[in-house]
Amino acid sequence: MTPIQVVLTAGIILIAAYMYLRLRNTFLDLILILLFLITGVVFVIFNEITDKMAHFLGIGRGADMIFYLGLLFLFFLMLKLYARLRRVEENLTELVRKKSIEDAEEFEEKN
Amino acid sequence: MIQLLIIKSTSRISGIFAANVTEYNLTPGNSLIFVIIPCFNEASVIRETVKEVVEKGYHVIVVDDCSKDNPGKQLKGLPIYYLQHRVNMGQGAALQTGICVALKKGAEWLVTFDADGQHDVNDIDGMLHKLKEEQFDIVLGSRFLLGAGGNISAGRKLLLKGACYVNYLFTGILLSDAHNGLRVMNRHAAESIHLKENRMAHATEILKEINKHSLKFGEFPVHIHYTDYSKKKGQSLLNSVRIFFDLVLNKIFDR
Repeated sequence: MTPIQVVLTAGIILIAAYMYLRLRNTFLDLILILLFLITGVVFVIFNEITDKMAHFLGIGRGADMIFYLGLLFLFFLMLKLYARLRRVEENLTELVRKKSIEDAEEFEEKN
Repeated sequence: MIQLLIIKSTSRISGIFAANVTEYNLTPGNSLIFVIIPCFNEASVIRETVKEVVEKGYHVIVVDDCSKDNPGKQLKGLPIYYLQHRVNMGQGAALQTGICVALKKGAEWLVTFDADGQHDVNDIDGMLHKLKEEQFDIVLGSRFLLGAGGNISAGRKLLLKGACYVNYLFTGILLSDAHNGLRVMNRHAAESIHLKENRMAHATEILKEINKHSLKFGEFPVHIHYTDYSKKKGQSLLNSVRIFFDLVLNKIFDR
């Protein structure tokens, strides 16, 4: 095993362990974490597999394929997070607005 | 005669207001007109701006968007509605809060007005007249129409003209001015429009809502007084990039 394989494998295992400890583990979560762990480690150690897949897709190297797919996934994730951020902000705004009007009405009643 | 009450929220400011209603008599014609002034860190000019509007006999709703400089203190004694956001949510959010309150208070006509003193109160009358005369739902102020006045710089003009076309791309409405804070609308328009863009992109969102609810709209030449203060507080080039980004997100997520 080359040094980078050691680093990547360790990273994948740590992330999987972190997810296992942090997330509320439903059965589905466990399967997903396991899937992530196995594919990650297999791709890192037996990297000829990714090369073969890349050739099939018309990409020169397996690492490039992972890079392209990873970029796509990250972009998708970013959009999802933005959508969520906007939803959260919308709810917060509604709350702040309601509170400010309630405060004002309370003051109006007192005076 | 409608009795005016000064509203304030309980946080941070304590008991410094006194309603001075007798000093400010509302002319009956103006009693259904509510001017909404969103305000964020404008303490040095807010009193002057608000006072001018109050003296015209309009109802005034100031929405303090969680300013750090306590504008409530400056507004002491003025017969206005004063609301306070506990968290800074942006100008769009503050405007929408003001609209909600104005509708609750039975407003027939609503005006949006910037706190930094760049607008001219005397324009409101003309805009209202146009709105009623030509049966518009909303009249938007423009600093580039014939008859408008002000001391705009060439760079700002270019930026705003560019923004007009960006707005056109996003909403299908081409106006002569963009991001002009002075607008007059009737109750129907105010009830239709619901601003979800908390920050500056609300100016474009209003156009989107106009389109969506098929509101009748027009433009009116207004006077903008650029002071050193309002220039400093105004939109920078960097800010317009942020607005553009918000618009793209709006296009993706809100239909």
